[in-house]
Amino acid sequence: MSSVTFKSITKRFGSNEVLHDVGLQIADKEFLVLVGPSGCGKSTLLRMLAGLEETSEGEIHIGEKLVNHLPPRDREIAMVFQDYALYPHMTVAENMSFGLRLKGIAPDEVDRRVLKAANILQIEPLLKRTPRQLSGGQRQRVAIGRAIVREPKVFPFDEPLSNLDAKLREEMRIEIAKLHQKLATTIIYVTHDQVEAMTLATRIAVVNAGRIQQVGTPTDVFGRPENMFVAGFIGSPTMNFIEGVLLRENGVLRFKTEGVDVPVLGGTGAEPLGPATFGVRPEAISIERGGAGGDGVVAAEVEVVELLGYRKNVHLKVAGAKVLASVSAAFGGEPGEKVGLRFDPAGVHLFEKGTGRRIR
Amino acid sequence: MTERGARTAGLLTSQAILKAHHRREALKTALVHGALILACAVCVYPLLRILAVSLRPGDRIISTDLSIIPQGATMVSYARVFAETHFLFWLWNSLVITVATSLVGVALASTAAYAFSRFKFPGQRLGLSLLLGTQMLPAGMLILPLFLMIMRLKLMNTYLGMVIAYSVSSLPFSIWILKGYFDTIPRSLEEAALVDGTSVFGAFYRIVLPLSTPALAIAFLFNFTQAWNEYLVARVILTDSYKYTWTLGLFDLQGQYLTQWGMFAAASLLVTIPVMAVFLYSSKWLLTGMTLGGVKG
Repeated sequence: MSSVTFKSITKRFGSNEVLHDVGLQIADKEFLVLVGPSGCGKSTLLRMLAGLEETSEGEIHIGEKLVNHLPPRDREIAMVFQDYALYPHMTVAENMSFGLRLKGIAPDEVDRRVLKAANILQIEPLLKRTPRQLSGGQRQRVAIGRAIVREPKVFPFDEPLSNLDAKLREEMRIEIAKLHQKLATTIIYVTHDQVEAMTLATRIAVVNAGRIQQVGTPTDVFGRPENMFVAGFIGSPTMNFIEGVLLRENGVLRFKTEGVDVPVLGGTGAEPLGPATFGVRPEAISIERGGAGGDGVVAAEVEVVELLGYRKNVHLKVAGAKVLASVSAAFGGEPGEKVGLRFDPAGVHLFEKGTGRRIR
Repeated sequence: MTERGARTAGLLTSQAILKAHHRREALKTALVHGALILACAVCVYPLLRILAVSLRPGDRIISTDLSIIPQGATMVSYARVFAETHFLFWLWNSLVITVATSLVGVALASTAAYAFSRFKFPGQRLGLSLLLGTQMLPAGMLILPLFLMIMRLKLMNTYLGMVIAYSVSSLPFSIWILKGYFDTIPRSLEEAALVDGTSVFGAFYRIVLPLSTPALAIAFLFNFTQAWNEYLVARVILTDSYKYTWTLGLFDLQGQYLTQWGMFAAASLLVTIPVMAVFLYSSKWLLTGMTLGGVKG
């Protein structure tokens, strides 16, 4: 097993630069998730690691070894593709053993490894079938099995679950988490699904527009987003943003805008005053029925209530802004009702207007 | 009208509409089948006439009798084809040239098509257009340049000369067919093979080619039928009658004063046997959907 280092990676397609000076260090046995919207460059970074795209500038190391110049077969990686990429003219067993046979590994050893991987993934009964005889979930297991048998240093996973339905995705997510515990190997996993990122990763790297926005544990990235992009991308439902002004009144830091005047607790005292964006997670909003009252309570009107079973999403209008609150299913408010909103300080974030950088 | 009456009337109207629909569908099917039967008859009838002529005894060759198995039917013409001509030589020459042409043609076309399908290089689009452009030229126009080329290569009257001449003329069509097919094969399959340990050629050879058997079979058949039935180029390149292909040999059965129509017809039918055999054998490779299931569709 091995660490992976990306040093000042730049990638250009013609004159179009899609990755800008990316640096990232992934430790041995780490499960790093690259998450970001479609087209942000995360898959390109993974493909460069696999040797399927050339690097325009910068260095990629697997362990201590510089691999920029090496073809994919010499990088000791085994990639899992978004569309499975199983060889249709081969059986499951042949698909899984293809790489080993190419390496000239003895047939007994090939069989042993294939059976072991099939056992881990519970696909032994499928070994003689062809890919067309498998369901989507089974195909993805086979694709993972094909990677496991090679016992590589690093596993790049390129959105492996995005073609599966929601239920299967959840099942496979758990399978992949178990697999990481069992194999104790370095996994670099690309996804645009922040739920996958939060649940699987030991660390998350959030990518946008070819730049890494933040690298950290899921708790860090969720709890202390470094900018508005990360704050808006991680978390479901997404964070609410309200534009306004940060000022200090009687020594208390306050955020103000039309219809909103709330104290900001827990500041350092060094926050720059002036135009700012107030961010609050939907789970950090509690709704008080019977209208606004008291300091820090914001008047709002219920617009739509969505029942999700165990929770309710309440869409509210606060002066000129729209706010979403995620509350208990016991909330009985109706559209049109005047309510008061209280924000949990732990779920409140402040960002610089313009740059979007975190203030607090 | 009572409610029940109205319902019954509605039901009757629906039944009438369905009945009319079924009648229209039946008529359409009958018309399509009629047209297909007519087309088959137009295709098969000349063959049946050739069969009839080949079976006629010598004194009734110029008969106006239209029966397919003529009175006094005999296999004499078939026997004479083997006994009095170099028919087996012609057949052997044609087979060697045709099979070699088809194999060389498919090998060259598949590698060229793969390059056009997968790699970006200067002149890619222009190259493809020029290949298509060559197909617009009448075959007769190419005879002189082909003749000069083969002569300068000192390959006149050789199998190799014929194989080169035939392969190059079939290449553009084969490249286009194969390129179109390769375009439909997901690149991720080759990428998976590269990561699994193949070279670029290995991915082409082990993954792309096995998945392209329908297109390869079509290209092979096209090369085969083109080379098998070709006359004009063979006439220019081959002068030794022992090197003749069947098309040249058959033509020689037509004399200035007398044409051996019985032998001509018998030989014409005999030469269809190898090409029919190749067609029947290849048909099993013309399966579509070989790539189904490999990637998420």
